[in-house]
Amino acid sequence: MSVLVFSLIHLVRGDPIRLALGTRFSQETYDALRERSGLDLPLVQQYLTWAGRAVTGDLGVSFRSGDTVTSLIAERLPATLTLALASLLVALVIALPLGMLSALHPRSLVDRLATVVSQFGISVPDFWLSIMLILVFAGTLGWLPSGGYVPLTEDPLGWLQRLVLPAVATGVVSGSVITRFVRSSMLEALGSDHVRTAQAKGVPTRQVLTWHVLRNALLPLVTVTGVQLAYLLSGVVVVEIVFSWPGLGQLAYQAVRDRDFPVLQGAVLLFALVFLVINLLVDLLYSRIDPRIARR
Amino acid sequence: MTAPVLEVEDLRVDLRTPRGTAHVVNGLSYTVGAGETVAVVGESGSGKSVSVLALLGLLPARTATVTGRALLDGEDLLTMSPERLRQVRGPGVGMVFQDPMTSLNPVLTVGRQLTEGLRAHGTPSKAAARARAVELLGEVGLPDPGRAVDRYPHELSGGMRQRVVIAIALSNSPSLLIADEATTALDVTVQAQILDLVERLRTEHGTGVVWITHDLGVVAGIADRVLVMYGGRCVEDGTVDDVLERPVHPYTRGLLGALPDLATDDDADLATIPGTPPPPTDLPPGCVFWPRCPVRGDTRCETEQPPLAVVGAGGRALPHRAATWCAEREAS
Repeated sequence: MSVLVFSLIHLVRGDPIRLALGTRFSQETYDALRERSGLDLPLVQQYLTWAGRAVTGDLGVSFRSGDTVTSLIAERLPATLTLALASLLVALVIALPLGMLSALHPRSLVDRLATVVSQFGISVPDFWLSIMLILVFAGTLGWLPSGGYVPLTEDPLGWLQRLVLPAVATGVVSGSVITRFVRSSMLEALGSDHVRTAQAKGVPTRQVLTWHVLRNALLPLVTVTGVQLAYLLSGVVVVEIVFSWPGLGQLAYQAVRDRDFPVLQGAVLLFALVFLVINLLVDLLYSRIDPRIARR
Repeated sequence: MTAPVLEVEDLRVDLRTPRGTAHVVNGLSYTVGAGETVAVVGESGSGKSVSVLALLGLLPARTATVTGRALLDGEDLLTMSPERLRQVRGPGVGMVFQDPMTSLNPVLTVGRQLTEGLRAHGTPSKAAARARAVELLGEVGLPDPGRAVDRYPHELSGGMRQRVVIAIALSNSPSLLIADEATTALDVTVQAQILDLVERLRTEHGTGVVWITHDLGVVAGIADRVLVMYGGRCVEDGTVDDVLERPVHPYTRGLLGALPDLATDDDADLATIPGTPPPPTDLPPGCVFWPRCPVRGDTRCETEQPPLAVVGAGGRALPHRAATWCAEREAS
């Protein structure tokens, strides 16, 4: 994984030193900087040095600002975490009731409406949705700010106001995907024999739905929610840029623009790590949900 | 015969399908007395399972239309309020389904699935329900019920799971037990144990039993009466002896002829009934068996539906009846 990230980044054209120095600089300064950042060494050696440090948690220093990459990431992490969790909340608030209602009344009006809404959510590009939200709620109606970020500790209301639009923009997309899964996994559970057994026992409907339908529909749901969370956590690049949200997506974007290799490598490595960790968590959660998977 | 536990009268079930309305059950009538076992036999697709699912309102309401009457201890199951029907499921009718591999919830313990049914019908405390669950598992012959109660279905064998399903069906001491192909998925030794178990419970508790199967060996072993279904209709019914020893309907004769007989011919071909049952979306106007019938001895067969009429000696409490024009012809 890290090899792939490293090679891909170095394939990008453009000289980071030249970009960092601007237009007027002497050859000596250029060479000195190049040597200091290790860019004059062969690529394999560069990789080994970087990887060696990375495993100890040292991701190097930004070409651009001179700050350590870890500090840059740590600085951006709260904003991304906030947005990811808020988006997931929006997604689940949309997906759970909508998916359940459609599964309980297949081919009804609610179901058809939910299909249209989720199809729209899946197809619409998130940047377009972001811009539309800004135009309507920040522009025409003027209810909410168009972007930016303030920490919760400084200004709770401002924090919330600035969070709403980006969270909705990303949440609608994730929510649409999850809605589909809720519907299909609930329908599958509803049609299973053991639900009929439960009904034949004379268990009240509400209990049948919670313990025999929802409980069994949970497994695929956890999987897709995990994937969505990983996607949200690895920085929703476009949405962060549209809303000037100072998260990891924006950091990665700036790093690409500036050819700031260490920062970009660090960010991408972190995204990969997020996917791995979330997948692991989902797997661990499985064994809590389904006794057939549990270790003996 | 004692007062009937279940009286089904002119039960009809239509299912809406993409290929038109399927007439799955067409005017089925039968009674089950207390402590009596009625076997319902027939091929796959003859409407056996649907007819009992309809009794408990377990068919999808969107596509199924159920008419007729089904009196359980005098109360009509088909017109009950959903809440009353829920109360009846369990204490009124216990049901055992065909496949023990899928009819238990894989993510809940056996105990949980048993106590759930008990608590839905008035066993108030968790502890009491659990104690009763252990007792029930012991009754159906599960070894070490105290530990089995905390196991998940996947930790038990097929036979053990079916015992659990039976324990669930019996947990609220129902007046009627419906077993839908309950032993079909099990191997023969386990099947025999389950049959013994049901037989014991029937004699001890006086439960009426409806046993749906296509296994005539099982029928001979446990049933008092037999009802042969074809194309959603009852084509012949009577005591086990009447139907198995002196079958009248060509279909019943065909079914019995299709049984391999170990005692006689070793090389003889197994008799089969040529063709397949008619699609329930397109039933023939006359006798439902006419298209496959080897006899076709009457002009009315093709056009006129034969009524279910008494054959042989009349005037008995349990008459032998068959819906065929052939019987009349043979008698005359």
